[in-house]
Amino acid sequence: MKTKFGSFASLLFLAAVGVLVVAGCGGGSSTSGGGGDFVAGAEAACTTANQKIAALGTPQQEEVTAYLEETEAVIETLHKEVAALDASGAAEAAYVEGLAEAVPILTQMGNAARSENFDAVRELSAGLVEIRLGELAEGAKLKTCAEVPVSKS
Amino acid sequence: MSRLKSIVVLGGVLALLVGVGVAWATTGATTGYPQPKEVVPAQKQAPFENRYVLTAVGSGASIRSGEMKFELEEGSSPQFLVGISQFYSYGPTGEIETGLFTFYPPRELKNGKGIGFTALKVGASAQYGQVTPDGELQLFTPEGDTVKGQLRLHGGGPWPVEFKVLGDEERYTASPPAARQIHEAEPNNPGWGGEASEYEGDYELVNGGTDPTAKAGTLGPVIGVAQGLGVKGSVVTAGSMTVEGNPAVATVELETGGTKRTLTLTDLAWQGDQRVAKVHAEGPDSPVVGHFEGTGGQGQVKGNLVAGHSVYKVDFQLKG
Repeated sequence: MKTKFGSFASLLFLAAVGVLVVAGCGGGSSTSGGGGDFVAGAEAACTTANQKIAALGTPQQEEVTAYLEETEAVIETLHKEVAALDASGAAEAAYVEGLAEAVPILTQMGNAARSENFDAVRELSAGLVEIRLGELAEGAKLKTCAEVPVSKS
Repeated sequence: MSRLKSIVVLGGVLALLVGVGVAWATTGATTGYPQPKEVVPAQKQAPFENRYVLTAVGSGASIRSGEMKFELEEGSSPQFLVGISQFYSYGPTGEIETGLFTFYPPRELKNGKGIGFTALKVGASAQYGQVTPDGELQLFTPEGDTVKGQLRLHGGGPWPVEFKVLGDEERYTASPPAARQIHEAEPNNPGWGGEASEYEGDYELVNGGTDPTAKAGTLGPVIGVAQGLGVKGSVVTAGSMTVEGNPAVATVELETGGTKRTLTLTDLAWQGDQRVAKVHAEGPDSPVVGHFEGTGGQGQVKGNLVAGHSVYKVDFQLKG
């Protein structure tokens, strides 16, 4: 009986330690829990997005509208992919929010370009600068997402 | 709220635009522009309340033709004039582009010379209510049915302009007739100085701004492209220029954010401190996409470099 009781107490102790370990893991870091998956998933999505953006190159004036439309599509896809991941911390949520803010601005820039209002395109781009998406990515420990893609032409 | 206001203003402006080509309205304009701070006496404004056709313009403005109309804003007290014009301009590749401008607010010119207005560019899309300051129109006291003045647009000018007052029944069903081009004295000495050694060599850009794409991550390239657009002068973050050859050709490397662009300048010419050139996007034998106009001397060349939809404000210094 004493042995059985001792074994039961040991099991309880081990269970308690296990709970504490799991709880401890969830507390300190914004990227743990679902965060590891988030970082890996977001970095993969950013790698694809950056490659697509780089491949667009630098547009000539008659290509600006198409360039903006294609960029909008890439960022929209990136946003959907990253938003579908399990963002577990404030920094990760801020990055997702930054992408969400960028999409309508890109839509407006595309519309302005179609109207050949290129001053408006430029003025609207100030909204993208203000998001500081690269900085948000750094905050969420997303190295690839923080990089500025280098155009191939 | 401000967006709603601008859309209301634009709606009024577009309504006034419709009136440019139609019969004179007696009810006045309803643009929605607010009462200006500066009051111009009614008798100073009255002579300008007319419809006009552009009859002459400085060739540097690249304007082919244009119509313009000034009306008193309905219900304004004290009354103030609001104008709108439709200019047909020569595009960088030869096509005709249409530009809409409104003129507001009015102000008196010094010495009773006439009346001046801020030129506000009207965007083609009402969605944005784009009515942005883009220059200035000065109209001098009318002489018969002629009104002379000067125009600044897109950071350029002033260019002389001459308008003819249209009668009540005069109107154009299509675009108005081409205005006479007033040719200003343009530099015609080859090169950018008397001696090739004065201007040949490698230059560095000395007016580079901060890179707006630095912390932009995946959005960096699109910001770089967008910041290189527009007529107000792009934010050039880095650049260089090499001038060589006989006849001299300048190869210009410009960077707006992370976006790099190479342009070639040919037909370099100078007169006094004026420096001009033609701009090509893909080498000296490619089509002309714009022009360079600026000043120079003593190892410096600075001015506006126009390439298609972009205007780059550059200041180059010859390396020691």
